[in-house]
Amino acid sequence: MIVLAALTEAPIVPATPAVIEPVVRIRLGLGDRPLVAAGVHVAAGDPIAERLRDPGLADTRLGGIQEPEPGALLEDGMPLGGKRRKVASPGHGRALYVTPGGNLRSIVGHHVEIVQAPAAGIVQAVLATAIVLRTDGIGYRGTLMTGDPTTGRLVIGVARPDDELPVAAIDVHGAGAIVVAGARIDVEALTRSRAMGVRGVVVGGVVGRDLRSFAASEARQRAAIHASPPFALLVLDGFGKRPIPPGVWAALIEAEGREVGIAADPAMILLDAATAIAPAAPDRVRAAAGEMTGRTGRLLEVVGRRRLPAGVMALVGRVAFEAGGSGQPPEERLVALADLERLGP
Amino acid sequence: MTERLPAAFAIDHGTASTTAALIAHVDGRARILAAAAQPAGAPLDPLLAGLVGDVRAVSPELLERMDDWPALERFESATRRPPSILVLGPTEAAVAALSWAAASSGWRISGRHAAEATQVVAICEALLDPDLETLLIGAADPSTVGERGQLADLLAMMAAALARRPDRPEVVLAGGAVEAADRFEGAALIFAPAASQRAEVGSDPLRDLLAGLASARTDARDPSALPDGRVALARATASLAALLDRRIELVDVGASAGTRILADANGILGQVVRVDAALAPREAISDDAVADQVLAWSTIRADPATLRDRVRNLVVAPWRDAAGDGARLRLAAGRAALERLDEGWRLPATPDGHPADYTADLLIVSGGAFDVAPAPAVSLALVDTLRRPGAMALAHDHARVLAPIGALADEEDRRRLLADLLEDALAPLGSAIVATGIHSGRHRGTLRLTTTDGASDQVELVAGGVQLLDLPPGLVATAELTTRDGAWLGVRSHHLAVEVAGGLGGLLVDTREIPLRLPDRPERRRDLLDAWQRPLWPGTEG
Repeated sequence: MIVLAALTEAPIVPATPAVIEPVVRIRLGLGDRPLVAAGVHVAAGDPIAERLRDPGLADTRLGGIQEPEPGALLEDGMPLGGKRRKVASPGHGRALYVTPGGNLRSIVGHHVEIVQAPAAGIVQAVLATAIVLRTDGIGYRGTLMTGDPTTGRLVIGVARPDDELPVAAIDVHGAGAIVVAGARIDVEALTRSRAMGVRGVVVGGVVGRDLRSFAASEARQRAAIHASPPFALLVLDGFGKRPIPPGVWAALIEAEGREVGIAADPAMILLDAATAIAPAAPDRVRAAAGEMTGRTGRLLEVVGRRRLPAGVMALVGRVAFEAGGSGQPPEERLVALADLERLGP
Repeated sequence: MTERLPAAFAIDHGTASTTAALIAHVDGRARILAAAAQPAGAPLDPLLAGLVGDVRAVSPELLERMDDWPALERFESATRRPPSILVLGPTEAAVAALSWAAASSGWRISGRHAAEATQVVAICEALLDPDLETLLIGAADPSTVGERGQLADLLAMMAAALARRPDRPEVVLAGGAVEAADRFEGAALIFAPAASQRAEVGSDPLRDLLAGLASARTDARDPSALPDGRVALARATASLAALLDRRIELVDVGASAGTRILADANGILGQVVRVDAALAPREAISDDAVADQVLAWSTIRADPATLRDRVRNLVVAPWRDAAGDGARLRLAAGRAALERLDEGWRLPATPDGHPADYTADLLIVSGGAFDVAPAPAVSLALVDTLRRPGAMALAHDHARVLAPIGALADEEDRRRLLADLLEDALAPLGSAIVATGIHSGRHRGTLRLTTTDGASDQVELVAGGVQLLDLPPGLVATAELTTRDGAWLGVRSHHLAVEVAGGLGGLLVDTREIPLRLPDRPERRRDLLDAWQRPLWPGTEG
């Protein structure tokens, strides 16, 4: 028998909490050009940088003229100096460094894509390859994100956090939106979302194989089409079919119809502060693994160490699970505490 | 634990789980009364309260003076995520040598580049990465003619990039790169010797320096200021080797890195800390090949895509889903990690030029992957992966107290506590005999096991197989191998006798090849692994 002062002290991992005013980084390439300075307040969707398309390395013989500062912005044909032999910039981009042999190495290309702020906030710093933004609202961290940071109005595409979004449900009405797609999304639905102009998908889980297929498809599309709009896939909980955690689901429901963002670094859904939800009761838990994955309920007691399948000994608790999706009735189960997440404080 | 105090907690804060043990003086010596583990994010006090409650429920008299248990002394160590390092060098050979030094001393390699024109963009991006904390650049000492031009280009790139950074990443200049120190005024420079071209695990000036830096960097990140668990584990292994006057080998597979240490009475002979030997390396998320390294040891029947996702979920939340197939997947991940720990395990030759001695009298295993499997299956995982001929005793640091004990500053304190706790801290898995050269046929040979209490048992050896003989904890026996064609146990002979100790897993006799040859086809490989493991894991359903 485990002696605990209260069930609320059971050794259970807390669920991912909301981060207040999360700090996110928007990564830039070597030749990208920031359009904002530190201290500036930006709104969601504001342009904050120009992305360099098709960047390439250029070598320019300086011939003894004054060396440009590392990181200096270059314009196509811009004179770099020289009296008898004029030296000009090889294109749009940035100076990287001067080789020991006196050659300027720079990264050049075309500034055509606009990078937008994924949420409103204050620019904390503009670094050589990142803009650091302290956002105004709240954020929930995900397991991974693929694509580019994006913004859009939030559309809940499923009725329950453990549903899956059917391919046929994605149409042009989703253009410009960030769609909540439930417990899993496959590569067909992702590709269709992209084609219909959806700006992002938020999902509980993804099959690794689908993720890789989609990443390959994205890479092909970006190589073929110029200036494609940003698209992001945010995975909240893991791999395979993983219902969206209840705390995040509740916040997403609150945020439906509002402008939200997806950040890449860290992987995070960025919401309006007004969508913050009240904490759950202290004994509320969610099964995060095993047969009951995704089901929520109340922890009734910590039973003690029990032998589980394959002879594993683990601390288990008795949980009263509520009715689940697809007609699962309420039931009481013994569950390993390590497979539970605490939803309350 | 000092003599004045009745009890203490030994706490190992891992990256995935926290383990605590309640130690108290009983009949004049320290004993482990209870131990338990929980996910790393869960609050600690309930775990400690649970240990006290467990002991009170069974033997309340042991804890009479312990009403104020929160005030008990705590020996703690913390294992943190390894720091990352960018490795640059003028040539591929230089980068390979530097990368080995960093990767084997507890660093995650965030990028490695040789100075080639095709790498300029990648190198500049890596140098300007906001996550860059430490940079290692090196060349031969003095740099060779072939390196000088490339090194100069690389240094120009570095100087330009570092001038654009408002922060001050640590720059380790190794070997010939030290000459360029004056180009990095204001940078946090560390001077290091050149990397050895021999990728070995013995003491090496650059590896030792990098190991110290890795430990200092992770310590600096953690406000708790607890001693580094990996350093403490190495110290505890050395203390144990000195205490027992034996060669002790320890392998620890953690969620963020794997550690292997070999020590004798004179100190540590070899040591590696490898990020790629973690239970489930982070790279498994983006790289199917890394996930497949785990699946290559799996006995679970399911489609590869589903199993890869289970491996990825093991990276995301290593504490979840530990029962049933989850336990078997963990042991497969543990095997893959042990295999990686064995890949680069090369000890330096002795000072008089003799080949290094890889044997150990006692092999200790530690880490969450081995908590979920029965002792015989853990023994099998060890002999599957750390293959060498001979006999050795196997033990499990089940309560993970070695690292907290290693965190004690005083060597005498460590030895005294280890001497007291030896039987409690190291659960005896049993012994293993790995013998090769046994042929199938009429005269395969026999093994006679004679225990110190006089009992004797004889079995016929199975060529190319695994046999488990009952040898309970506390018993010591002599194992005699008799073969007509001779067997190889480090030495070749027709008749060999070795002393073996009993344990929870008994005596494992392994006559398979070294290295282990497994079928290439995944189904056949899985079936063969399952055929070896299934008899050793009770409760395995079809």
